[in-house]
Amino acid sequence: MSESLGMLDIFALLANGIGFTVLVTVTCSLTAMLVGLLIAGTRRLGFRAMNPFLDVYTYVFRGIPVLVLLFMVYFGLPGIGIKVPPLMAMALSLGLISGAYLAEVFRGALNAVDPAELLAAESMGMSRLQIFRYIEFPQMLRFSLPGMVNEFTSVLKYSPFAYTVGIPEITKQAIALTATTLRGTEIYFAVGVLYFAIFKILLMAVKFIERRYCAPDMLAS
Amino acid sequence: MPLISVHNLVKEFSGQRVLNGINLEVYEGDLKVVMGPSGCGKSTLLRCLNRLIEPTSGTIHFRGQDITGADVDIRALRQSIGFVFQQFALYRHLSVLDNVTLALLKLRGMSKAEAEEKALHELNRLGIATHRDKYPSQISGGQKQRVALARALAMDPVVIFFDEPTSALDPVMSREVADLINQMRAENVTMLCVTHDLRLARQISDRVVFLDEGVVKAEDTIDHLCNAHSDSKINDFFSSGVRGQ
Repeated sequence: MSESLGMLDIFALLANGIGFTVLVTVTCSLTAMLVGLLIAGTRRLGFRAMNPFLDVYTYVFRGIPVLVLLFMVYFGLPGIGIKVPPLMAMALSLGLISGAYLAEVFRGALNAVDPAELLAAESMGMSRLQIFRYIEFPQMLRFSLPGMVNEFTSVLKYSPFAYTVGIPEITKQAIALTATTLRGTEIYFAVGVLYFAIFKILLMAVKFIERRYCAPDMLAS
Repeated sequence: MPLISVHNLVKEFSGQRVLNGINLEVYEGDLKVVMGPSGCGKSTLLRCLNRLIEPTSGTIHFRGQDITGADVDIRALRQSIGFVFQQFALYRHLSVLDNVTLALLKLRGMSKAEAEEKALHELNRLGIATHRDKYPSQISGGQKQRVALARALAMDPVVIFFDEPTSALDPVMSREVADLINQMRAENVTMLCVTHDLRLARQISDRVVFLDEGVVKAEDTIDHLCNAHSDSKINDFFSSGVRGQ
């Protein structure tokens, strides 16, 4: 059978995994966004008492390997009676780690907001929350776009770990396919092409958003 | 009754007295120009008046009400004071029009249509409505200051504060700002302008308040202050301007 397996067939067989790869990437990226925003927002709005906790979180989670945390969540937690579904295990490992990185990206972006604009908003009579909502937050998103793209790309490239907890994403399909056909070179080449295609689509989406929403001097590229 | 009446205003920053007992009155329709060397407390004074900075002691009456107390609605106070900054401080992620409508939408609760109508009225008044869809980075310094003024005017403020409005501008654009202030004056807008730009002061007013070392040293016509004043500080400040003319 391996004689008759063309490149197109390989892509077709791997295609089953694309949906799962995208699902894992999107889930973990959204988790990371949520966590990153929460941390950066809490820090910025000056809940001082929270700072030590946020520091510890960003410090620790940036230092743990994704796979180690994933195994802790997926294989460790059942030991104390908490069973975590595979996708949630990904969100709680890759998502949380990525969130710690994003929090730092957002922090840098918030520091780039011109204090004079914040003073202007304050002297207009806006509340602290309104200033964050209407001035700091939208500018932060624009300033952090390049950093966010980096982080989402990392998430995409860490997503193959999902196969270790049984999610049948692209890499998992490739392993299975290689085991039956022994055509590793072509198959993993096809895998590389697929990841690159997803990455390319992500970049195009970001470029589109950037053109649509960024003021001319705020364009990242 | 004065619109703003400042009595014995003191502001200390970690033991250092920046304002040392200021007395000042602004009446409706006034254009009050406050001058003084860098670090004399001009900006601090303005910021005390809308409580961006908390005064250490003294009283500030705004429309007859003391606004230094703890029970004052500071946000309502600030909404009735327009503030124009030296660095323009336009929101760079918003277009010219959105810069002006933001406060109308979020603070006044206007509908989008109402807010845009009001904003376009102010932009038209300042001759800059054609740039409504541009971003701050796409317009000149003088145009930015017009937008900043339109943004302040849109809230129908009781008074407008100018904090060094020409410091970041070249002489031509400064002239533009002076013309704007004169236009506002003709329309009876009450204004308080803090500046060390003697040329601007001459273009908009005959009289100035001279602030130095945290107190009002003099309130007089510019001509008097420029003519060999007995106070050496006043002499130094204003004579340099005369030579500069």
